[in-house]
Amino acid sequence: MNSGENDMRGSSAPRYLVIQLARFGDLIQTKRLVRSLQVEGEVHLLLDASLKTLAELVYPGVHVHGMAAHGASAGDVLARVHEDLGEVAGLDFHRVYNLNFSGPSFALAGMFPWPRVRGYRARQGQRLIDSWPEQVMRWTRTRSVTGLNLVDVWGLYSRQPLPPELVNPDAVPRGGGIGVVMAGQNARRSLPAHVLAPLVQAAFARVGHGPILLLGSAGERRAAKELAALLPATLRGQVRDLVGRTGWRELHDAVGGLDLVVSPDTGTMHLAAHLGVPVLAFFLSSAWCHETGPYGRGHVVIQAATECAPCLETVPCPHETACRHVFGDPSVLRHVSGHAARALAPGCLVMESGFDELGLTFSAIAGTDPASARRRAFRAMAAAYAGVSMPDASAMSPDENWMRERDWMLPQTLRGRIHD
Amino acid sequence: MTEMLRILLVLPMYGGSLPVGRYCGNALRELGHVVEYFEAPDFFGAFSALKTLRVGTDRLDYLENSFLQVVSQAILAKVETFAPDLVLAMAQAPLSRQALKRLRRDKVPTAMWFVEDREVFPYWKAFAPLYDLFAVIQKGDFPRQLADLGQTNSLYLPLAADPGVHRPLELSAVERRKYGSELSFVGAGYPNRRLAFRRLAGHDLRIWGNDWDGETALAPYLQREGARIETEEVVRIFNATTINVNLHSSVRPGTLVGDGDFVNPRTFELAACGAFQLVDRRALLPELFDEGELALFSDVDGLLDSVEFYRAHPEKRAEVAARGRARVLAEHTYAHRMRTLLRHASELMPGREIPVDDWRSRIAPHLRDEVEVLLLNLQLAPTVSFEDLVWTLRSREGSLTRLETAILFLDEWKKLYTGHRPGK
Repeated sequence: MNSGENDMRGSSAPRYLVIQLARFGDLIQTKRLVRSLQVEGEVHLLLDASLKTLAELVYPGVHVHGMAAHGASAGDVLARVHEDLGEVAGLDFHRVYNLNFSGPSFALAGMFPWPRVRGYRARQGQRLIDSWPEQVMRWTRTRSVTGLNLVDVWGLYSRQPLPPELVNPDAVPRGGGIGVVMAGQNARRSLPAHVLAPLVQAAFARVGHGPILLLGSAGERRAAKELAALLPATLRGQVRDLVGRTGWRELHDAVGGLDLVVSPDTGTMHLAAHLGVPVLAFFLSSAWCHETGPYGRGHVVIQAATECAPCLETVPCPHETACRHVFGDPSVLRHVSGHAARALAPGCLVMESGFDELGLTFSAIAGTDPASARRRAFRAMAAAYAGVSMPDASAMSPDENWMRERDWMLPQTLRGRIHD
Repeated sequence: MTEMLRILLVLPMYGGSLPVGRYCGNALRELGHVVEYFEAPDFFGAFSALKTLRVGTDRLDYLENSFLQVVSQAILAKVETFAPDLVLAMAQAPLSRQALKRLRRDKVPTAMWFVEDREVFPYWKAFAPLYDLFAVIQKGDFPRQLADLGQTNSLYLPLAADPGVHRPLELSAVERRKYGSELSFVGAGYPNRRLAFRRLAGHDLRIWGNDWDGETALAPYLQREGARIETEEVVRIFNATTINVNLHSSVRPGTLVGDGDFVNPRTFELAACGAFQLVDRRALLPELFDEGELALFSDVDGLLDSVEFYRAHPEKRAEVAARGRARVLAEHTYAHRMRTLLRHASELMPGREIPVDDWRSRIAPHLRDEVEVLLLNLQLAPTVSFEDLVWTLRSREGSLTRLETAILFLDEWKKLYTGHRPGK
């Protein structure tokens, strides 16, 4: 994608390494990058060992290398990491995509010649950030009017990004009922059982049949029991509680057969999108569908859109997470049950996924999104920055806050994503 | 002193104290300390570009001062990150007074080694009181002058040689032809040298170095049209020359020889190379070298007489050179100087509170040998703290090995999962 790169060495297929040390959801959201690179050459993926099985399921044909990134004990880390890195240390990579802004990721970058590393790299102890991720971080300071899906943020690192509509299959019901994901990684982004139960009931009405699979990790068993207890007796018999009982393969198989996945912003939600299973997600607090919404055509997100949304999850909420109350509103439940009407409670939007040239978009099908025009203009500008052709690119001049003098003054390659 | 220290060595942007700074760094590492350089020479190109603007002098003055403030800020940022036990600045280091005051406020000990002639570079008066320790290469009333300005912690610290750089070399015949001559001088064309060396005309003489412009009488002897000679070649010239002339510089009109107290670095460097030199008498030479360790002259006639004598007595040359080298290796290396400086600076450095952490004992047995080799290659003591090892690895050039990467990963992992944040 970046025509300024001309250092492809030799005639053999290039070898790429993607370092993704984050969690479940991030691994799935790396798909556009991984698939794009697979078109060009041999792809290796370095990730936390706990995700290795999942990665092998999700990314056939990719060489997956697990390492003790998380969860090991301090005494073991040195020896384990030393051993784990043995698999990639001897390989000559044309390019290394280091995707996470974290100390361990910077440490790993040091193992490779720094000009070959994209994203986050280290040169003689100095941490360096490529202009593309740096620019994306600047955009996220005005999240309400910007929005670039993480799948696209990472996908656009590649020289020839896969067209967005080819990343995941269109969402189609598979006949296996409803999956309900109990909680996201951040409790504030999840719904308590008494709010979730009516939503599940509405979703059941939308699909028309069960079973209802409860999905989640072992820590959510109690919440699952609470939810089941709150469901009407007619539905309770449809519940199959798989919380804490699925390995990666079982989860993959279970989700792949569903008609609908009801979920907050979770890894399982991204897995459903990867498999082309329709998602009905509820995004609140810091979750923002324009950034981490389910990737692909045919997904719906109920997005809390209070004035303070999206917030920062690291900052305590001064409103006692009031944005979650809207999910109990009858108008929201009507939408979830499939009885679409334009009327919707304030502070809420029903968003439907789609694509533009840059990647995934979400547009309001109920409620009014006051930032939609501004966001479209932003995306046109971001597309120009990323080197993607898009109409109306001149509709918005770059906000001064998004630019730094050095962007203009210092040598960068054509699209400003790499400054070797 | 056995404690391993973190030392930030602030080099000047250019000039004679720049190589001395690097020799100090070599020595400090040899002594087992963790050294981080502030590479001011990297900033010199941009600084020089300001002088090509063709703008008003007031604007140029403003721009240069502003630029130097940025450089000072860069040093402060490095101090913040590296958390040194001592900031050691070489003469002309680009540390502004404001930055020095900030370091003092933050209780970061600072030392300056002023390896210049106090009469030629009088700016020391404005900066000396702002350093916690001020080391100088001159004696006399210098300590009193410093004390009058408020700098009571001064230290006489003569120059020295770096045996890793200044050493005897086996030269090929080609190299001897390229660099050798019966007489040679390497250095800048100060007025006293220009006048004195005219008396050597007619000898097999080679003059190397810069600032000889307009010197027509010596032009036939000037090598490479007065280009600057890099250290590596200087050492070859020293080794290839039969008689190295070492005449200290003087800017005082009418005085050709015997005008000062301090001893120049060339004296120690030539001796460390095992090269024979004729050096002019200096007030501070007798306490550094004994009779027979150097061949001395007091005036230009004496220089000519000595040249004639030593041309004819190669065994005498060899004897003096060998004794001079032995004395330098025994007492006058930069390692000796840095040890002295750190001893004096020790009261400024309260000592880091490093929690006892026997990290090496927790390394998996199959990696221990590899870690030992790594420490050896990095010139780190077996007792090095994990934090200092990490810092040393971070500053390495090029791609890291698997073990090095794993060590840096462990450091980051600890910050994430144990809340342990070494240094700052």
